Amino acid sequence: MPLGDEIKGRSSEAMKTNHSQKRPPLQTLFKEGLKPQNPFEEFQSFVFKKREIPLDHIVQSSELVMDKIRLGYEKLLEEEAKELVWMVQYNTIIKAYEVAERYIRDIDYTAEDIEDFCFALENTHRIPYLIPGPAGIYISALCNYAKENEIVLKLSELKTEINLIGFRLPKDKRMIIEGDTGDFTGISLEGGELVIEGSAKNWTGAGMRSGKILVKKNVGLHTGEWMMGGEIYVGGRVRGLGNVVEGKIFEREKLIYPGKSRYPNHYY
Amino acid sequence: MEDKKLQEILEEIWPRLRKKHLYPEIPVPQIKPIQESLAEGEENSEGVGLEIKDKVMTLNPLFIASMEGKMSREEVMEALLDHGITHYTFCPWDFQTHLMIYAEAKKVMGDKETAKRVANYFIDVVADTHCVKHRSTQIPELHRHLKKGPIQEVIQSLYEKIWGVDLGISSSKKESRLQAETVRRLMRIPYLDRSRWPESIRKFARSLKPLIAAEQKEQRGKGGKGDSNPQGDHDLDHYSFEEIDSGLREYARKTMDLAQFREVVEDFSEELKEIGYGAEGGMGRGRSAPIDADILFYMKLAENYSIPLRKLPLEEGGDLHPHSHYPWEVGSPYQDVDIWTSFGKIMPGITQVWKKKEGRGRLKIEGAPDCLIIIDSSGSMINPRKNLSYAVLGAACATNAYLRNDSKVAVYNFSDAPMGGRDILDFTDDREAIYRSLCKYFGGGTALDLDDILPLIRKKTPLDLFIITDMKITNLETLIGFFGQIQNRVTAVHIGENPYATRFEKAFEKRKNISIFKVKRKEDIPHIVLGSIREYFNPVEKRR
Repeated sequence: MPLGDEIKGRSSEAMKTNHSQKRPPLQTLFKEGLKPQNPFEEFQSFVFKKREIPLDHIVQSSELVMDKIRLGYEKLLEEEAKELVWMVQYNTIIKAYEVAERYIRDIDYTAEDIEDFCFALENTHRIPYLIPGPAGIYISALCNYAKENEIVLKLSELKTEINLIGFRLPKDKRMIIEGDTGDFTGISLEGGELVIEGSAKNWTGAGMRSGKILVKKNVGLHTGEWMMGGEIYVGGRVRGLGNVVEGKIFEREKLIYPGKSRYPNHYY
Repeated sequence: MEDKKLQEILEEIWPRLRKKHLYPEIPVPQIKPIQESLAEGEENSEGVGLEIKDKVMTLNPLFIASMEGKMSREEVMEALLDHGITHYTFCPWDFQTHLMIYAEAKKVMGDKETAKRVANYFIDVVADTHCVKHRSTQIPELHRHLKKGPIQEVIQSLYEKIWGVDLGISSSKKESRLQAETVRRLMRIPYLDRSRWPESIRKFARSLKPLIAAEQKEQRGKGGKGDSNPQGDHDLDHYSFEEIDSGLREYARKTMDLAQFREVVEDFSEELKEIGYGAEGGMGRGRSAPIDADILFYMKLAENYSIPLRKLPLEEGGDLHPHSHYPWEVGSPYQDVDIWTSFGKIMPGITQVWKKKEGRGRLKIEGAPDCLIIIDSSGSMINPRKNLSYAVLGAACATNAYLRNDSKVAVYNFSDAPMGGRDILDFTDDREAIYRSLCKYFGGGTALDLDDILPLIRKKTPLDLFIITDMKITNLETLIGFFGQIQNRVTAVHIGENPYATRFEKAFEKRKNISIFKVKRKEDIPHIVLGSIREYFNPVEKRR
């Protein structure tokens, strides 16, 4: 007799013989070895095997690094831009850079982490504020302290142009930015090589001491302001020169500083 | 004979595969006849191992034969089917996700062809990684023996890193610097996190872009075309008409962006035309004219909103009554779902839909009258072909409500009507023609010409009127006077608030046949009740 019928047979028999007698509880049936059939019997043999693959670890560790980098940036904002206003002055830049250095020194990160951070800056769910000044200082500090000597940042899709990128880029470091950058690109460059695949805005190379800045497209006003040395190569046009102290500026392979053809901030 | 053997293997492994993938609802796969494969000129190449069309997976016997000596036929077939099934069970899952992945890739790649390629690579990486992590599969073994182009090499190198298996890439050939850099970037992407796919595909595309550009340059030099994907390409063939329809509807709702929707529809226009979109006389099947993406956008977006239509007691019979149930399928509309017998769930196999039949009898039966939609397309209104217009969306929802009830709709689209700025569409049930008329934009002054409207109103009794405007009409008083005289049910919707709208509301606050609604946001649209009359709802008041 099938199991279900047996249970049904037993219970109907009990009802016929003694109505006042209670039906045997389910536990009693189990003890007697009568178990109700499981409608999902077929799934019992399925064993779910969750395999650990290296991707899990890679994603987890890069998330961890990103959290640390993000935390450092938030701390920098807390200290440097309390009112969410940040004035670009020499002292504030130096101070902000020192704060950034303090937070990133202990983080073990790669160039890809820096790029991820740049994109995370635009994602308001992950980072509450993008203030181009401190963000640029922080990214520059990250690049300067990175283990790699060559850093490529693919930023062409960023909607915001980051200011102050390449600040104090040291000797033996090469930084390539795919996309455009904002104001104060490569300021205070300290011997490194900064390549901008797109355009840069005003004050490019201001106060740079040595090294090379290569901008594939155009640059804005005050280019090379208080520049003390090094070279700036511009593939497109230079909108205006700053008061250059020393160094060389090329526009479309033609030397425009030192030279007689151009005056400081002479727009054309 | 060979076909038969493969068929036997397939019959043997298919129940096991179904169980492994938790019983997906997919038809039994097929083996492509060898003659057909040969006729397609694949005898000299491995070709594509798996094709998916209308949910049916078809295995290529030539491809399976080409793996002879490397893997057993069972293993090859199982790996290919694991891959195919995972497309249904994980990535892309549905057409809307496929569109989203493509659209994000296009933002980075810029052009249609490379965006499609990148989206396909991404979908494959996600599906295979999911399969390797969650199921026991021969996919890694299959990858070890697949023919590799430069991009396939990078992707397989990526697999080695993220799956932790040796596919013979790193040992066989030294990676170029660009390849190594690309793999380093690719391996950081959280492929299995569905919520981050939009961000992940952008990063994936960004990383692969230089390699794809280099490959394209090389191919252009050779004058050839790229290699086909041995695991099959992902195009619209995978999906049924209903899945595509529902995917477009979801995509329109999620993006709410006319330009983005238009771009995607235009990119897939050939495929969409192939399955029947853009056909004359409605979005039916068959080949025809180019797809009007703007109209399709409003059509799909409006399907997400259901605005109620109060019916009128009509003399004639012929109204539709719920008669029996039939099972609901994914992609079918929700309007006629019987929530009681569906246990409040929208799930294939559980949900039931009412099948309606025409009623009989001599009693007055409730029905929906025809409707005249009056829509303002003056300069103060949004151009529906440039941005999302709530006026057109509202009118589209009204159109759907009337057409669903087997009524006909006429359109009077006006700007400066006395000067010729108007478009009149007579009563019709041609949805596409109605939408085309609603989407017309004049962008001039705002004045109605009653001489245009009166013939349409006189033609039908009873007739509902639906007017949607910002009420900044120069001859508003004429319109108020006219509405004051008619007894038709009028649903007036004004977009935003202004003194003209207030004047209109004041004029009709005591008229029971005129209901006024305000639409400020898209969320206000479902609150519109078409043809609501206070008198009709409150018969007690009427008797007094």
